Amino acid sequence: MSIDQEKPDEVISAETEVASEIVNEEQPHTEVAEHEYTIEELKKELEEAKQKNHETWDKAVRIQAEMENLKRRTQKDLEDAHKFTLTNFGKALLPVFDSVVLGLQAATGESEEVKKFREGSELTIKQFEALFEKFNILAIDPIGQPFSAEFHQAVLVQAAEDAEPNTVINVFQKGYTLNGRLLRPAMVVVAKAPEKPSEDNTQA
Amino acid sequence: MAKIIGIDLGTTNSCVAVLENGVAKVIENSEGARTTPSIIAFSNDDEVLVGQSAKRQAVTNPKNTLFAIKRLIGRRFKDDAVQKDIKMVPYNIVEAENGDAWVEVHGKKMASPEISARILMKLKKDAEAYLGETVTEAVITVPAYFNDSQRQATKDAGRIAGLEVRRIINEPTASALAFGMDKPKGDTKIAVYDLGGGTFDISIIEIAEIDGEHQFEVLSTNGDTFLGGEDFDSRIIEFLAAEFKKDSGVDVHNDPLALQRLKEAAEKAKIELSSSQQTDVNLPYITADASGPKHLNVKLTRAKLESLVEELINRTKGPCEMALKDAGVKASEINDVILVGGQTRMPKVQEMVKSIFGQEPRKDVNPDEAVALGAAIQAGVLAGDVKDVLLLDVIPLSLGIETMGGILTKLIEKNTTIPTNASQVFSTADDNQTAVTIHVLQGEREKAAANKSLGRFDLADIPPASRGVPQIEVSFDIDANGILNVSAKDKATGKKQSIVIKASSGLSDEEVDRMIKDAEAHADEDRKLTELVHARNHADGMIHATEKSLKEFADQVSAEEKASIESGIEALKEVIKGDDKEAIEAKTNALTELAGKLAERAYAQKAGAEGGEAHHAEHASSAHAADDAVDAEFEEVKGDK
Repeated sequence: MSIDQEKPDEVISAETEVASEIVNEEQPHTEVAEHEYTIEELKKELEEAKQKNHETWDKAVRIQAEMENLKRRTQKDLEDAHKFTLTNFGKALLPVFDSVVLGLQAATGESEEVKKFREGSELTIKQFEALFEKFNILAIDPIGQPFSAEFHQAVLVQAAEDAEPNTVINVFQKGYTLNGRLLRPAMVVVAKAPEKPSEDNTQA
Repeated sequence: MAKIIGIDLGTTNSCVAVLENGVAKVIENSEGARTTPSIIAFSNDDEVLVGQSAKRQAVTNPKNTLFAIKRLIGRRFKDDAVQKDIKMVPYNIVEAENGDAWVEVHGKKMASPEISARILMKLKKDAEAYLGETVTEAVITVPAYFNDSQRQATKDAGRIAGLEVRRIINEPTASALAFGMDKPKGDTKIAVYDLGGGTFDISIIEIAEIDGEHQFEVLSTNGDTFLGGEDFDSRIIEFLAAEFKKDSGVDVHNDPLALQRLKEAAEKAKIELSSSQQTDVNLPYITADASGPKHLNVKLTRAKLESLVEELINRTKGPCEMALKDAGVKASEINDVILVGGQTRMPKVQEMVKSIFGQEPRKDVNPDEAVALGAAIQAGVLAGDVKDVLLLDVIPLSLGIETMGGILTKLIEKNTTIPTNASQVFSTADDNQTAVTIHVLQGEREKAAANKSLGRFDLADIPPASRGVPQIEVSFDIDANGILNVSAKDKATGKKQSIVIKASSGLSDEEVDRMIKDAEAHADEDRKLTELVHARNHADGMIHATEKSLKEFADQVSAEEKASIESGIEALKEVIKGDDKEAIEAKTNALTELAGKLAERAYAQKAGAEGGEAHHAEHASSAHAADDAVDAEFEEVKGDK
């Protein structure tokens, strides 16, 4: 592995001697030396170096820009995460709330017990509503309003004489939003739109 | 930098993803969901709804709410699949003038790609909102069994949506990419088991490694276009409805709200049973009749669920065996099985896969998102994004060649990550030298001979020229495997020689450390030697140039001057033989001065004669003519002449 230290020195001096006299030995005639650049060559190298520098700079700037974009996206992701943390929990809690409301609706008796139960249920529901409001969970109760696919889910279409077509005539279940984003659509019944001839036939 | 997005354009749901810093990421849509239903609706007032909102108004507008357009895209109206579909969907499927399957909405005929384009437009918009820049290119996935016409139609849909579809790739291939199936070396065979919402697809894929690139070939596909997670849900709903009817006498099918709640509860229970052994389906006040409110409370065990859906799971076995047979591959020859589609999360399904293929399937990528993630990876490759290569090798020691004076000239420094390359232009050491020896060395010592020799080769037939003039470009190239390619090229003739070396050939860590320490210990010594060699080389160059000048300007040099220059040369030649760097430098400076005066005069005369830049000696006659003029000018100054 390691090369004898004596020998290299000899080799070097021998080479140097030979280099200074142009002798026909194999060694000097294959020695590699520094290339003596002409000005033309240097100019060309400079151009190439400038070009490469320009490309590298360009790349660096792009990476910087990408980083800025990434920072911005990460920031928004973080904000959204805070804003919508309650999404899953909220969605799961709503059916429970529904059950309480349905329980109240079903308690139609007139006995003292039932009356007390109704009262208790009403107060429980108030608790829920206060909680929702606190966390920006708002109810969507669109009875009588025009149907909007953005916040309502049409479960049924019914004919209705006294209602405008495409309006909500019944709310099966209220919808909710969390910080403006839809948590669950309101389940509604929509008044039938008038029968247009072109809708029922396949006329062009 | 423009990003290319990856899109899974599914029959029931679509998903878009993008490669961000080497990692594929699903982009949420404007409603915050990670997938978008593949549903498009045209309302009465010509509003176009896409996704969840289109789904929500379906009941009010069945003729103009379009879904499962993927069953029509690229097909002829007369195709069996299309004719079957007509009976199943409430919207109008019509024949276009050219025979393609189109749809009719509000009396207007529209091409299938036009409809699918609407989904793509929404995904594009959502991606742009997330990325904060415009998106104009995409990679879109299609089933492996899609024919040319269907693929072209999908591309058309992209174009209509304002997206240049850079590539259409197969869904199982995309999934394979998401699972990193393009990483292993050599050839592999994989099975992609895709049990989604509405369809089941099994694909056998061969991945061949050719020149470091991975090529994916779909050997066979099979499946069941009417088998999916929704069928599993149906079984559970029916069971729960039947139990409820038994208990309460009420049929929930007549109550749309109750049915809706039951559907949601059934899906929830199915998911829970993938991680628990039993669950409660608890729906108080689900409905009411004359006798009052009714509650649904049913315990569902995993075992019960599995018995309800056993037949469905068994239906996947046949297609898998057919696919293996068609591919001419035995189950034992499959290297990996990957799971795609939400329904594959069910333990019983995974058991079935294991029993068919005799191995645990890979489930480490989100099965709902694998296809989109894979499309994003392909998109990233096309965009030229650098993939995150986590572990890169480095070369342990510097690499270079031996140059004049026995010095190691490094081309690649140690600890450079590979793959890498470097090149430098060298030249000859002597006049009329017609060959150079490229001696490749590894190590840190400046003294060439103190390093490890890796190999050597000659480059010959260099046209005779003055020393230092020929341009020999020496290039070092190390690939990812550590194989070193060294080449030498004569830039004038184009002649080239090269050798291939295994760079880190058997050097242990200890040896590497020792060589580095060795270099540090000898650093001073080596530096002195280098300086000495440089001084010698410089002196050498000076001698050479001066001798040349003497010949060139022989007629401008007085005998006295010539003698003093020659003695300067001799003196320098003497000290070169020794090791005294200072002496060499001193004598070199002395000679430089002497020769300098000569050169100065010669160039000045030439500049005067030609009135321009002078590089080489020109005709003596013109210089001579100007001589008088210059002499006259300097007459007074040149006192010692």
